Amino acid sequence: MGANGLANGSSSLSGSNGLNGESSKRYASYLANSNRYEAVDRMLDRRGPWTDEQFVGGSEAKAFLRQKAKILVIGAGGLGCEILQNLALTGFSDIHVIDMDTIDISNLNRQFLFRESDVGKSKALCAADFIMSRVPGVKVTPYHGKIQDHAPDFYMQFAIIIAGLDSISARRWINATLVNMVDEENEDSLKPLIDGGTEGFKGQARVILPTITSCYECSIDMLTPPTVFPVCTIANTPRLPEHCIEWASVLEWPKTFKDKKLDTDDPEHIEWLYQKATARAAMFKIEGVTWQLTQGVVKNIIPAIASTNAIIAASCCNEAFKIATTCAPYLNNYMMYTGNSSIYTYTFEHGKRDECPVCGGEASLVRISKDWTLEQLVEHLKEAQEFKLSRPSLSSESGPLFWYDPPGIYEATKGNLDKLVFDLLGPEGGAVSVTDKALPAANLSLEIQFE
Amino acid sequence: MPTRPSDSEVTTTRPTKIPKMEDSIDVVSASTATAPIPSYRPDAKERRYDRQLRLWASSGQKSLEQARVLLVGCNATGCQSLKNLVLPGISHFTILTDAKTTAQDVATNFFLHPESLGQNVADEAVKYLKELNPAVEGVANVQDPATLLKSEPDFFTSFTLALCCDVDPDLELSIADLLWQHSSTPGNRDVPLMSIRNSGFIGRISIQLREHCVIDTHPDSTHTLRIDQPFPELETYARSLDLDSMDSMEHSHIPYLVLLVRALCDWRDAHEGQAPSFEFRDEFKETLRKGKHKYDEENFDEAIGQAFKCWNTSEIPYEVESLLSRDNVKNITASSHNLHILLHTLGIYLQSHPLPPISPSLPDMHSSTESYITLQNMYKRQYQSDLAEYKSVLDKVLDSVGLPSGAVPVTEIESFVKNSGGVDIVNGSPLSAQRDVKGLTREAINEHFADPESENHLAIAEHLAILAAERYRTKHSIWPGTTSDTTADCQILEESIKEMSGLTALPGMAKEAIVEVVRGGFSSLPTTAAFIGGLVAQEAIKLVTDQYSPLDNTVIVDLVKSTTTAFKL
Repeated sequence: MGANGLANGSSSLSGSNGLNGESSKRYASYLANSNRYEAVDRMLDRRGPWTDEQFVGGSEAKAFLRQKAKILVIGAGGLGCEILQNLALTGFSDIHVIDMDTIDISNLNRQFLFRESDVGKSKALCAADFIMSRVPGVKVTPYHGKIQDHAPDFYMQFAIIIAGLDSISARRWINATLVNMVDEENEDSLKPLIDGGTEGFKGQARVILPTITSCYECSIDMLTPPTVFPVCTIANTPRLPEHCIEWASVLEWPKTFKDKKLDTDDPEHIEWLYQKATARAAMFKIEGVTWQLTQGVVKNIIPAIASTNAIIAASCCNEAFKIATTCAPYLNNYMMYTGNSSIYTYTFEHGKRDECPVCGGEASLVRISKDWTLEQLVEHLKEAQEFKLSRPSLSSESGPLFWYDPPGIYEATKGNLDKLVFDLLGPEGGAVSVTDKALPAANLSLEIQFE
Repeated sequence: MPTRPSDSEVTTTRPTKIPKMEDSIDVVSASTATAPIPSYRPDAKERRYDRQLRLWASSGQKSLEQARVLLVGCNATGCQSLKNLVLPGISHFTILTDAKTTAQDVATNFFLHPESLGQNVADEAVKYLKELNPAVEGVANVQDPATLLKSEPDFFTSFTLALCCDVDPDLELSIADLLWQHSSTPGNRDVPLMSIRNSGFIGRISIQLREHCVIDTHPDSTHTLRIDQPFPELETYARSLDLDSMDSMEHSHIPYLVLLVRALCDWRDAHEGQAPSFEFRDEFKETLRKGKHKYDEENFDEAIGQAFKCWNTSEIPYEVESLLSRDNVKNITASSHNLHILLHTLGIYLQSHPLPPISPSLPDMHSSTESYITLQNMYKRQYQSDLAEYKSVLDKVLDSVGLPSGAVPVTEIESFVKNSGGVDIVNGSPLSAQRDVKGLTREAINEHFADPESENHLAIAEHLAILAAERYRTKHSIWPGTTSDTTADCQILEESIKEMSGLTALPGMAKEAIVEVVRGGFSSLPTTAAFIGGLVAQEAIKLVTDQYSPLDNTVIVDLVKSTTTAFKL
């Protein structure tokens, strides 16, 4: 019924929603009950033993939470559905949600705001509608699209941002954008970022205060490096079913379909890979290629269940509630959860990294061999765990060394790739600044030295 | 990583339809047949459950789809728990309560609506929860649980698992006692119970179960390479390789495992049969290094990196040994749990073998396809031979207790033999004992509550505050923190804890714990409800699937500090 009124406004609701007399009476009686938020009110009317001295509580905190705090949820998937539910029940009434995805049948085991009839629809729109139909007084504004399509102005309007993403690059992007938005003259420019992530029975929730606490980029080296199979193994000495699947997708597909891009969401494409991989496996007497494994390898599927998402999303929203109301100290700044064996959480303060390209300011020292070409340095920045860049463009103090864009500079600098860094920078090495689309508006400073 | 299919010979018994997740396709027959390769493309149900099947496979899913879950009480936490069980597809849930929906219920529970106000809360919540998964059956029972407990105790024992959310402490103990008594009769199934409390930012989950068998703990690795004690075929193979006359391609693609076995054999031959000990590690690694034909042979580098496996002796894992010494494993009957019988059999098997059966699984390693497959097949043959021996011991064991030879399904035997280090048995205790200030609770008070430096100090203080609140509730019929005079309630709880603990002054953070617990007035903060609902479902899934090790047996959740603390009472 799209109830758009404020939490305490009931006048516009009962008349227009087509309820019959009896249920309309129940609806009105619910909204008239000023004690309905008792559970949340107790935390705002009563001080806890660890509550900050500055806490005022009472009507002021309630008014901020229920009328002023505009909050953005990034992702309307497994975590996003849970986050939207929790925020709405906690009392946030101006919620915005952004997601570029549409609903797939494999989402339904956990993304509980969606039904089979919703398959193919926009996650953001569908989730927003559901929340508004279930929880009266909440307005959810959906955006079907990419976070990168919005300028910093867009992010500036929110009090808090919660991210429930499955993509590392999207996390890096929003993190760098929010750190870059901080203006020391304007305290409203500092947007708390609460980030959740899950994988199977494990997950983590963290609170990032851009420029103040450790940011997402500070901990980039904590990510488990993805399994990469060397091309020579795939091409010549396959041993595992995964090697046969990679062969089919990485080598055979582009050879067979020169102009058709592999679409890992297209079952016909997966079928083709599965057939190819199975035949190759048989040739090498390798067992274990299945349809599901094929799909899992090419889509890099991460197991996901409702219960883990519930735990991590609840933790994220709990922190948002505490930040918005100051009724209890918020997480400083990282909670890890592992549920494989009993229940285990580890709560700790992740430290800032001085040489973090996003929030650190100090240059990263990179020691390389004298015979490295510029191309080797570029490849190193793509592969090393502490950088993980996608298309790094490098400049020295005297100008561009190598840039991917724009085409003019690419043409002018690509010749440098074959040259030695030693020859380009001189025997003492020196400062190199790097930009990359993974880190919007951030410069990674390197100090190159030779071994 | 997706669930890896295990190597097996299952193709002969394969059903003609969809293969199980853990099965592998028989590639040989698939490629020699004239028909196209069968697709086994997942059906709608497998697609819906794909992301969870990659965790607990079809065997876990099957158990889940047979589970019947009872929720007594119907608050936000209980409904969040059920949501996380309906989504992955349990068979059935019942919500039992005669309560009517209040405005506070609607405001905290996503599975209610303003229109639910004044209606039976069980009816309303079932209606909204059922929408989540058409395959799940949901029933509302709107009788008074206390009355039903007297008139129809069998109702409670007809479930796989019972959840008590915000249930009156005395009634909860009566239900727990009934379930505990029920499972004391041999042949009766154990019905585990989870007791759930929450107040504001603080919560507690307790599990009562008699005994829980975990058939797969999902250990990080199931490999049993046993390089230090190679089986005969592997040793013969490693010795037979003419390393010096190989071409460089072949030489640089011998699996490191074979290189190590060979180096070990050579070392033993040169040292009167003695294996290299830790002190000789550098010397041993040097012999490997000398074997390189070229500087950059990766397989040799892998061997040097893994050389410690030659002096680390393969042993019966400590966990397995302690399981074997359990009374109900040593003494089995025809009604013993299959895992008891399988472990008992392993105990007998180990009287004539130094180690449990070998696992057929191998890690990936730098190697040519042919060498790797050759090695893999050797491990598989050894596994098959160990399995056959194990099965013959099992047949005798089954016969000795009067069971037929097929009493334990072949799939269970094989999964145990492949992964005998990945099983566990959890012994529980009755809820009444967990609530008594004796035994482990007494120990927790002495060790953690009385000592403000203990890392569990605050969690035990919070547990005692909840325990004191339950006593308050029994005495006053309301929860502390529900009236405006919270100071008086805190005072009463302080006195109660002093009495329980025998301490005349409350230590460390006890007062803080009491204030925070009373603050919430035992109402469900939506975020706390969601957090605990996630934990409850997680543990319920483990109990139902017999996979992954469950909580044993209490956890305190503190969402002020964003911590959880698990301990046993």
